[in-house]
Amino acid sequence: MDMSNTSEQWGWLSKILHWLTAVLIFIQIPLGFYAESLKLSPLKMDIFVWHKSVGMLVFLLLILRLLWRIKGTIPDTVNASRIPQYLAQGAHYLLYGLMILLPISGWITSSAANIPIKLFWLIPLPALVGPDDAVKSLAAEVHEISVCVLLAVLVLHIGAALRHHLLLRDNILKRMWF
Amino acid sequence: MKTISYAAALLCLLGFPVASATDWQSDPANSHLNFAPSYEGMPINGAFKEFSTSYQTDSQGQPNRLIVNIAITSADMGNSDLNEAIGAIDWFNISDFPEAQFISEEFSDSGKETFLARGTLQLKGFKKIVTVPFRWQVLSDSSASMTGELVLSRSDFSIGSGEWASGEQIGVAVKVWFDVAFTTKKPNL
Ligand code: HEM
Ligand code: HEM
Repeated sequence: MDMSNTSEQWGWLSKILHWLTAVLIFIQIPLGFYAESLKLSPLKMDIFVWHKSVGMLVFLLLILRLLWRIKGTIPDTVNASRIPQYLAQGAHYLLYGLMILLPISGWITSSAANIPIKLFWLIPLPALVGPDDAVKSLAAEVHEISVCVLLAVLVLHIGAALRHHLLLRDNILKRMWF
Repeated sequence: MKTISYAAALLCLLGFPVASATDWQSDPANSHLNFAPSYEGMPINGAFKEFSTSYQTDSQGQPNRLIVNIAITSADMGNSDLNEAIGAIDWFNISDFPEAQFISEEFSDSGKETFLARGTLQLKGFKKIVTVPFRWQVLSDSSASMTGELVLSRSDFSIGSGEWASGEQIGVAVKVWFDVAFTTKKPNL
């Protein structure tokens, strides 16, 4: 299997980045809700370290992914009518956008709440903004809305993938799989 | 009041230089008392927004007495959630202990305008002997500044008790630093 994408197939680098991100996102969402639900305790703070670390890892993978995507080709869209094509593309751009918005808004929330970040208990991140209650609420709001949008788009995205595989029986899911 | 004036009269009779002692009072608008606990080894800065300091020097300008009153309720860590959290029983327990006080009448001169004040810090119901290093600079007849920095152990005062006691996430050492502007007190006579 090629590392690079072709017009028919995703290369292995794109595949690894896609599925690694997918796994991390599926860990990240419950981590976020769990962290939020806890009352202030050492456990809560540790869960948040995990949440922030995994979230920033998603962000890092996203940067690699976008660089790789800009550099190379991407597989052709399938022979479908326009509307599902636009929907699929729109969903993909949205997903990319959310993978930027979520980490950045989370990072701002943390900074504005005056909580320093140390990824995986190792790598300190600088504060993006100074402590500020209003900024904190706003960034947390953006984070939360992004989560809602993400959940909705993922339902669409995964549903579409399954539809292609199970109903349309084309190679869309296969070309992203190994 | 009466006892005090009797005592003053008595001291005058005994020839004590009461009149030449200077009483200094902190100027709240230009004074800062900061503290920084650490989280995973990184500092989180906070400040006590309300505190007052009175300081008395003798005729030679040497320290006589230092009294610091701190409104623990005014602790500000830059975020309303944090401010609420630190008021809890495990932390400052501000409903039972809204104030802290440091009193020192024992000083040693460590040269170059710097001194050590040994005194009692009363905080969250505990009284501990604490030594506070400070630099005292007289700027004019009526203004002066006091600056200094020290490290306290929060476990001495049971601040962050229970599951927080280990200091694993929130370190046990808390940095405290201050920059206090003083003016001379108007004589009460
Ligand atoms: C079970 C979960 C998932 C399945 C079955 C799945 C399936 C797929 C498939 C088949 C493609 C290829 C579409 C094509 O070739 O035209 C794809 C692309 C994509 N997926 Fe997923 N995905 C899943 C989860 C996720 C998650 C969690 C994210 C991110 C939050 C995500 C983001 C993307 C993006 C951005 C693309 C577009 C790639 C590009 O055009 O550069 N996917 N997905
Ligand atoms: C990459 C994707 C991320 C996803 C999918 C995600 C998801 C979530 C979810 C589901 C919640 C709980 C619901 C909510 O209040 O919004 C949450 C909360 C939170 N996340 Fe994330 N997160 C991500 C990245 C990050 C990053 C990188 C950081 C920080 C560096 C972060 C910091 C936070 C904070 C501070 C909260 C609590 C917000 C509040 O106080 O209301 N998140 N996140």
